[in-house]
Amino acid sequence: MADTPRPAPVPDAVTAPFWEGCAQGELRVQECRACRFRWLPGSVVCPHCWSDAVTWVASAGEGTVVTFAVYHRSYHPAFQPLVPYVVAVVELAEGPRLVSNVVGVAPERVRVGMPVRVEFQSAGDIALPVFRPVGEGD
Amino acid sequence: MPTSARIVGVGHTSLAPRLNRSAWALQAEAVRAAVADAGLRPQDVDGLITEPGYSQGVIEGITPHFLRLGAMLGLNPRYTSSEVLGGASCVAMVQRAAMAVAAGLCNVCVCVFGDAPSMARGTWSYGRGDGSAFGLFGAAGLHALAARRHMAVYGTRPEHLGEVAVTFRQHAGLTPHAQQRAPLPLGEYLESPYLVEPLRVLDCCLISDGAGAVVVTSAERARDLSRGGIRIAGFGQAHNLTGLAGADYLTTLPARESGPIAFGMAGITHDDVDIAQLYDCFTIVVLMQLEDYGFCAKGAAGAFVADGHLRLGGRLPTNTAGGLLSEGFGGGMFHVIEAVRQLRGECGARQVEEAEVALVSGHGLGMNTHATVILCRD
Ligand SMILES: [Zn+2]
Repeated sequence: MADTPRPAPVPDAVTAPFWEGCAQGELRVQECRACRFRWLPGSVVCPHCWSDAVTWVASAGEGTVVTFAVYHRSYHPAFQPLVPYVVAVVELAEGPRLVSNVVGVAPERVRVGMPVRVEFQSAGDIALPVFRPVGEGD
Repeated sequence: MPTSARIVGVGHTSLAPRLNRSAWALQAEAVRAAVADAGLRPQDVDGLITEPGYSQGVIEGITPHFLRLGAMLGLNPRYTSSEVLGGASCVAMVQRAAMAVAAGLCNVCVCVFGDAPSMARGTWSYGRGDGSAFGLFGAAGLHALAARRHMAVYGTRPEHLGEVAVTFRQHAGLTPHAQQRAPLPLGEYLESPYLVEPLRVLDCCLISDGAGAVVVTSAERARDLSRGGIRIAGFGQAHNLTGLAGADYLTTLPARESGPIAFGMAGITHDDVDIAQLYDCFTIVVLMQLEDYGFCAKGAAGAFVADGHLRLGGRLPTNTAGGLLSEGFGGGMFHVIEAVRQLRGECGARQVEEAEVALVSGHGLGMNTHATVILCRD
């Protein structure tokens, strides 16, 4: 592991429930009680119908890789030992998309459309949701 | 609202990795050159629109950039502002100037971009919000995500991205002020290292010190000037503010909406466009714009560029001075300047014959903002 901690997300009033969920091993998405739209990242109103009736719900944590990039250079000391590492956009089965890492697989084996499942990686005081290919060995 | 505003002057500094001058000094030089090119005097300027540049603005926070530059230039304009749309700013500034002139708010409006990253503390590889916890740094990462998706869905190949870099380098070779002029063979591109795969260093814009400016005025005022000017025939903007939350993000640019607005205002079709100056912070964005503007079908840009259509003599000569990839990082203002020069017929060895209509685009803040302008020689 890197000696330097990763740049930590700074939870605010809107995003705190997402990061609290991660700390509890639960990936959360926002849902509108009025129109049932689900999304990430957190907002103060439903981005679809502007209702205030927004709530956080647990995702099953399963999704697919929409796209990914392989960093061959580190832009931050925390990532130096991880190069080459994979940054991906994952689309959850519930619909929302998020930026994350694909772990537990060599970068050259990552594919667009690959099914993945969430797991949580501790980084200092925070738990980060990262994704591992479903059915791949460690 | 067809516009009659015209660009009557262009000016710029050199572009180089290190000019050892402040961004302010570069901006002042570009303004002076553009106003002189228009045959106007400092006292004639009554509008000032500025773009602070990445190292001055986007990273270190927007202070009223126009305030300090205006003070240094001794201006008390009737209209002023700073544009903060990232790479879409310069094209948006020209639009804003055209609107201000059309509305009678001012009559001689200077638009200026300038930056001196070599003199700044900021870095271009800044984190992208919470994405930096996952190692998403710099605009290159975001565009690499777009490139990978394009490759997976449409079969776009590294050679297609390479053709963009190779073509613009060829154009830069014919551009005396370009930063990178040595020919780039496709083989050399393909053997070059990745930065954020699938993007190589050669897929990324250069980093430059430099500044560029244009002068916008009314058709009436332009008639009194030795240069009749180039008409700002149409323009449009569109923005994707929802980012990843939208299914189109990383696959489709707001050029899809911005283009038809600009074409409609100018009363032209794709066939009328003689040259394009497309914002090229990364090669993939050129492919996406060709598709989203409708110069080819969605997914067909790889084949389109492989056919050589972006080259001088091709169907749509593009970034004829080399663009951000080889001319240097002119923030998008050098795209406007090159379009004006082509339409004036001043481009020497790289001149596109009979160039009458140019499309210029700006794309910025990740993949969120987009602006289009159509310029006509009439
Ligand atoms: Zn709703």
